[in-house]
Amino acid sequence: MPENTVPASQYDALVIGGGIAGEEAALNLANMGFYVVLVEKDLSLGGKMIHLSKVFPTLDCSACITTPKVSETARHSNIKIYTYSEAKDIKKVSNNRFSVNIIRKPRYVIEEECTGCEACEKVCPVIVEDQYQYDLVGRKAAYIPFSIANPRIATIDIDNCILCGACEKACLAEAIDFTQKPEVIPVEVKSVILATGYDLFDAQKLPNYGFNKYKNVVTAMQMERQLVPTRPFNAVLRPGDGKMPSNIAYVLCAGSRDATVGNPICSQICCMYSIKQAQLLMGALPMADVTIYYLHIRAFGKGFNEFYMQARGMGVDFVKGKIAKISEKENGNLIIRYEDVYKGKVKESEHDMVVLSTGIMANQGITGMFPDLNLDTDPYHYIKQIDELRNPSRTSIPGVFVAGAVSGPMDIPDSILSAGAASSETASYMRRLP
Amino acid sequence: MSAEKTRTIDVIKQQRQVPELAKQRRKAFADMRKTIRTALEDEPKTIPELAAATGLQVGDLTYYLMTMRKYGEVTVGQVDDDDEYFYYELTKKQTHNDKS
Ligand code: SF4
Ligand code: SF4
Repeated sequence: MPENTVPASQYDALVIGGGIAGEEAALNLANMGFYVVLVEKDLSLGGKMIHLSKVFPTLDCSACITTPKVSETARHSNIKIYTYSEAKDIKKVSNNRFSVNIIRKPRYVIEEECTGCEACEKVCPVIVEDQYQYDLVGRKAAYIPFSIANPRIATIDIDNCILCGACEKACLAEAIDFTQKPEVIPVEVKSVILATGYDLFDAQKLPNYGFNKYKNVVTAMQMERQLVPTRPFNAVLRPGDGKMPSNIAYVLCAGSRDATVGNPICSQICCMYSIKQAQLLMGALPMADVTIYYLHIRAFGKGFNEFYMQARGMGVDFVKGKIAKISEKENGNLIIRYEDVYKGKVKESEHDMVVLSTGIMANQGITGMFPDLNLDTDPYHYIKQIDELRNPSRTSIPGVFVAGAVSGPMDIPDSILSAGAASSETASYMRRLP
Repeated sequence: MSAEKTRTIDVIKQQRQVPELAKQRRKAFADMRKTIRTALEDEPKTIPELAAATGLQVGDLTYYLMTMRKYGEVTVGQVDDDDEYFYYELTKKQTHNDKS
């Protein structure tokens, strides 16, 4: 194997993850004059935030906040970006240097040649669930991830490709190249910032709620996509039959604060994003009833309680209740069986759509990037902050820092703050190196 | 010697088998697309009306119809009298690709 035969490129910092925390950390360091290499495993920068509708509690447009940061990162002359790539084999080569292998996966499209014209996409005959619309609608095997993707170029999903060749024939830019192979790019860096964010809780681990069995039970991310202008359907509709819902229920803490599903902690964002979605739904569907079933409402941040009260004032119904089971009627409506905590009674209610406010989990597999080094994690598999109060970005490996939700659940403003802290701690660490 | 430019698809075809699932997905979309197009030929329909006309499941219909809408093949019309279901029709001329 001709691996690692090229000399390693030298950078000051490696940032792993191109979401809002990774971008913020990379930009801060780049603006201080450091050279940064940023590795993103997805096809585009922007992380989860680029797919959201609005942010709480200000209701600012999420994409409008994140896309300028994405463009600034992509254009910055001190930042080298590898999308659709992974950082592997991070090893100490000396006291103050790490070696890293960046694995660049093949897109089967020459990045520099693709104009994003969509001609390949139009002719491709295969339809697969669109992961960027959380499977509510299909996409082609030759596809541009989403309209505001950066870079906005096509990719061939080779596992779903029937090798018909139509895309290559249609591409006037001659950008399609089925001979591409994975590339290994060796680099050396002085420091590493982990900004890999979080994983969404898999709603299928809650069999009593019927996700994937009952089509009108959706996750909050699926509802979020229905609330953005680039939504999968023409309006907010039930995926089961295209009906406009008129009575929507939210189930909070779906997969959070629940040791039986392996996630005993609070995800910190679900109460507020559900309250946000409820408010947006009342705007999108003025005749609809929205009920939120909750255990406790945790509205602890700046402006959060006012935001919660605003939702109550708008007519969102809050029911303190533990949901035992969801079942489906023949017309696709859903029956929620729950314990009404205040009344001490088991009750049933009918809704035409149910949204599971799924929690977030630690993004696992990060420790595996460091085969020879000991990266400590906390009991919930988040990366451990070894000196949380004095140096909150520090990990168990000197020179490796954390930014954003890689160290625990947090919302967008806290992720940006954490990335600011990570970049300044990293800069100060590098300045002190011999 | 062929005058045609060598296409890289011919190279990968020598090295790779087409996955069975990919073949099934292509066929599923081709069949669905044909059925939906035929059912919408004469007049716009709601998803339950399409289901009644084709015998297909409403959930599958929603997924494929919305995919056809995304790629500009189907256009959204009015909502029905009960404010529940939209009417969908075939796009007259291929217009701008309305993908997300
Ligand atoms: S690969 Fe070719 S056809 Fe596809 S978007 Fe890029 S330039 Fe257009
Ligand atoms: S070769 Fe693959 S990606 Fe290209 S058009 Fe055919 S099925 Fe789609």
